[in-house]
Amino acid sequence: MSIKVDPNLMKDLKHFGMKDGSKCFHCGNCTAVCPLSETGTPFPRKLVKYAQMGLKEKLLQSSEPWLCYYCGNCSDNCPRGADPGETMMVLRRYLTSQYDWTGFSRKFYTSEKFEIMAVIVTGLIVGVLMLLIHGEFDWQHASLEKAWPAHGMEIADLIMASILSFFLLTNVYRFIKFTMGDLLTKIPLRIYASQAKELVLHFLTQKRWAKCEDRTQWVIHLLMMTGYTTAFILVAVLLAGGLAVLGLTWEPLRFQRPFDPVLGRDIEYPLFHPIRLLGYYATIAVLIGATYALIGRFRKSKAPYKNSHGTDWMFLVLLELTVITGISVHILRLLDIPFATYAMYILHLMIAVPMLVLEVPFSKWSHLAYRPIAAYLKGVKEKYFAEVQGQTAEAPAAEPAQAEA
Amino acid sequence: MDKKLATYICTGCGIGDALDIEQLSKVAQKECKAALVKTHPCLCGQEGVAMLKGDIQNEGVNCLMIAACSPRVMYDVFRFDGCLVDRVNLREQVAWSQKPGDEDTQMMAEDYLRISAAKIGKMDPPEPYKPEEEISKDILIVGGGVAGLTAAKEVSKAGYKAVLVEREKELGGFQRKVAKIATFPYKGIKDNDVESLVQDVSKDGNITVYTGAKIEKTVGGPGVFKVSIAQSGAVKEHKVGAIVMAAGWKPYDPAQLDPKLGYGQSPNVITNVQFEEMVKNGGAKRPSDGGALANVAFLQCAGQRDPEKLPYCSSVCCTTSLKQAIFIKETSPEANVFIVFKEMRTPGQAEDLYRRAQEEGVIFIRCQDPQVKASGAGVTVEALDDLLGETVVLEDLDLVVLATGMVPVTAFGEDYAQVRARMRAGETEQKKEEEELEVPQDAILVSDILNLEYRQGPELPGLRYGFPDSHFICFPYETRRTGIYAAGCVRRPMGVAAAFEDGAGAAMKAIQCVEMVSQGKAVHPRAGDMSFPEFFMQRCTQCKRCTEECPFGAINEDEKGNPLPQPTRCRRCGVCMGACPERIISFKNYSVGMIGEMIKSIEVPEEDEEKPRIVVLACENDAYPALDMAGLRRMSYNAWVRVIPMRCLGSMNLIFIADALSKGIDGVLLLGCKYGDDYQCHFVKGSELANIRLSKVKETLDRLVLESDRVRFETVAISDYDKLPKILDDFAETLEGVGPNPYKGF
Repeated sequence: MSIKVDPNLMKDLKHFGMKDGSKCFHCGNCTAVCPLSETGTPFPRKLVKYAQMGLKEKLLQSSEPWLCYYCGNCSDNCPRGADPGETMMVLRRYLTSQYDWTGFSRKFYTSEKFEIMAVIVTGLIVGVLMLLIHGEFDWQHASLEKAWPAHGMEIADLIMASILSFFLLTNVYRFIKFTMGDLLTKIPLRIYASQAKELVLHFLTQKRWAKCEDRTQWVIHLLMMTGYTTAFILVAVLLAGGLAVLGLTWEPLRFQRPFDPVLGRDIEYPLFHPIRLLGYYATIAVLIGATYALIGRFRKSKAPYKNSHGTDWMFLVLLELTVITGISVHILRLLDIPFATYAMYILHLMIAVPMLVLEVPFSKWSHLAYRPIAAYLKGVKEKYFAEVQGQTAEAPAAEPAQAEA
Repeated sequence: MDKKLATYICTGCGIGDALDIEQLSKVAQKECKAALVKTHPCLCGQEGVAMLKGDIQNEGVNCLMIAACSPRVMYDVFRFDGCLVDRVNLREQVAWSQKPGDEDTQMMAEDYLRISAAKIGKMDPPEPYKPEEEISKDILIVGGGVAGLTAAKEVSKAGYKAVLVEREKELGGFQRKVAKIATFPYKGIKDNDVESLVQDVSKDGNITVYTGAKIEKTVGGPGVFKVSIAQSGAVKEHKVGAIVMAAGWKPYDPAQLDPKLGYGQSPNVITNVQFEEMVKNGGAKRPSDGGALANVAFLQCAGQRDPEKLPYCSSVCCTTSLKQAIFIKETSPEANVFIVFKEMRTPGQAEDLYRRAQEEGVIFIRCQDPQVKASGAGVTVEALDDLLGETVVLEDLDLVVLATGMVPVTAFGEDYAQVRARMRAGETEQKKEEEELEVPQDAILVSDILNLEYRQGPELPGLRYGFPDSHFICFPYETRRTGIYAAGCVRRPMGVAAAFEDGAGAAMKAIQCVEMVSQGKAVHPRAGDMSFPEFFMQRCTQCKRCTEECPFGAINEDEKGNPLPQPTRCRRCGVCMGACPERIISFKNYSVGMIGEMIKSIEVPEEDEEKPRIVVLACENDAYPALDMAGLRRMSYNAWVRVIPMRCLGSMNLIFIADALSKGIDGVLLLGCKYGDDYQCHFVKGSELANIRLSKVKETLDRLVLESDRVRFETVAISDYDKLPKILDDFAETLEGVGPNPYKGF
């Protein structure tokens, strides 16, 4: 088999943030120091070679970029200043754009102008829709429930979630197809099933990350991840106390406070109400995580923060702003200032919604799917090969060709 | 000279504790006949040295036997002008390496005093050699390339006159063909400014330049070279003191390359040298039709590091290809440039150029065996990428540049051994039948550069691959012809940055040489030595051993075969002295007689005492310091040995062995340097010659009914000190098996 070199890929990768990858002279120190690199899935050096040679196909087939958590050990130890950790990051950006069949992701990554416009336009649409579709504005007391009833918002949430899931899942399917190739159908379903709990585990804990030397990154990420997941459940699932459309609600879990006609305003949960506490946890966790990352990127404090692509900033800024506007809404509502509360709420959603709609399927946030799936599929493949090897060991002449695969 | 000997025994550094100093003093007084015997607890201290100076002034002492530490230390402290000084190594080789207070240790120390007394008795103060003719301090520079021009400039800057001979019509050398250069700080490529160097040299009043000229003949030696320079029909003669040989290189002939590299199969496959010419003559274009370059591949090691082609790395071709690749990237940024390499070798800071090329987007493919497929103008390269494990195909290449290597100009021309064989065939048949020692001939090629009138051949002997240097790591610029220093690519493959340094370095060596010679002193490696070999011609049998064996070709020959020594060419190693079967060659302070007396002065105990004696003839450059180091590390070794240092083991005359064995010494151990390709001998092949001579001594021994086991030859490097005790003990054990020397007591 022969290979054609594509010198243009490196030029293309520059748009995704590639800076020093071409300096690599393949000493392999990066792979040697990486605590996550394994014999079957060695990285980052191999991927750097693919990038240098412009081997797009090979890159698409690689799941290694998603197995790297960017602790920065490789970059710190690179004798050449080739920043292999950043090359892996660039490849994640690039691959995200390749998995996306709409081509939207590529535009989002390669043009900062497009990225900013997309956020602004989506935000404005959200703002306009909120101004057009609303309930009754109570100017005496700040009542979000009256202005935008939870039941209505839930429908909007569901519409948004389906659009978002549709794009994310189709992209995830492409990701799986590229990285698994023929194996996708060759591996028996029971192996997929037996490893399923790993998928959940990886999603919830990112346990591979714990193997990295710098565990701070893992902890910070866990804060952000759990914080945001909590917030997402509160806002998207429990806004009306469950699935109000289907009538499946449980009042005590309701996140948006119901309007009390007797009081003439929204009911306040007591300070130690679990929902309120969860909300505080989510807010604080995301705030700490996002602020740490933002400061790190400003100061370029460690390898993973040294190079920031436009999308990295956009993601963190939107996250930070979502939290800040969220806190503001909460305070303004407690202070019972109707106009400011409504305005801030619109602003909050004008930031939070674009972040979700744009980032989750098309950009940085899509890693929430790619990473656990890559780790899961790695386990699936390993189990499969172990079985195949076991079989051929028993019957050596049976099917040697399969073992080759 | 009326000798007045004084013996000084230092009791410091443990010597006093290990030896009976009083007894030692008696030996000095009675047996060595020292007029004065003194001991001091710290002879090298101010007080000790003052004592020595006082005795020289007040007592008229002119021969000093200093029994203290090794002659390799404190040599500057124990140097007294006008006096003969001999150092007896009681510290490293006795007190520190033998059992203290032991009878055998004491005997060893006493023997060393006797040896020293014998040595001083046979020594005379050397008188510097002054040739009859006036010594010239001008320096001839052969070659007007970067190295030669720099050498000329440096010579002039140091206040000397230079004569520069260039074969081409213009100065500048290969750099004349080059548009861009890669040099410090290697952050990018620079414009070639060899022209300014040419201007500097042309304007310099101290430099006489001959262009379009060649050297017809070089006669004489350092200080007294006479050089005939032929220029457009006329021949001019110059007297010079030393020569810088910067004759340069030629590109490896691409026609010799493996056909799979595609040279000659398409106009678009060229060499790196042709690339330079192309750029100089109007820029980088597709050779077949002058079109723009879109895809270019460089193939490294085109012939280099291939045992069949050019077995060595030319060290500059990687940097050159990087330079050329960057040039293409700078002139047409959209072009795709590939470099196919075995290993990227960018010595020193040229690594930065490699990085720069990577940043420019040059793609590097590591492959041991690329293949060029040419069909008309279309060229494809197939390369098995070591890192991918798959074959990479580079299609639609507009240009393939083969990075060929450097061949020194000294590597061309007929082998002088063949020329000699032809000459001899003309001589009478019986002369050829003469019994001769098979001394390996030096590789001298008749490359028509210096045309030396030297008996051993007209050019500089090569070491490996035709490079004329004598030891490129330890002794840069040195060649095996004294006063002739190699610089630039003729010495080793190098880029412009190194050639500048080389020119300056060789110029400094040449200046050193003329200064030393004018004072009658030797140059490297016995720099400053004022002794030189004298020939007692009445007894010469014209055997030519000295002229054949001199590693530096210092001895010419007249028609009758008489040696004509050229003392300024001599390095004072004494190889001729060791070679001479008639023993007619001697130095004032180093002679066959002297070593013979030293050996004979060793006290040989009677057979029933069971104290065998071993004479160790040790090279003073490696083996002797190694013995010192063994002592320094307090390693103990056999107490029967008596070490006698040699200037070079090549100065070992077979008579020494006969002297020792007939005296009743049980065995002789020769410690020399390693020889062969990775030799380390200061005099190139001294230990090798000693070993060859030894092949003759074994027959003699057998005839004397003496076991040939009694003589052993070992090679040691200076770092082999840890192996020495075992070597010495093993030899002693062998001798015990052989039994005592029957000549004891005769």
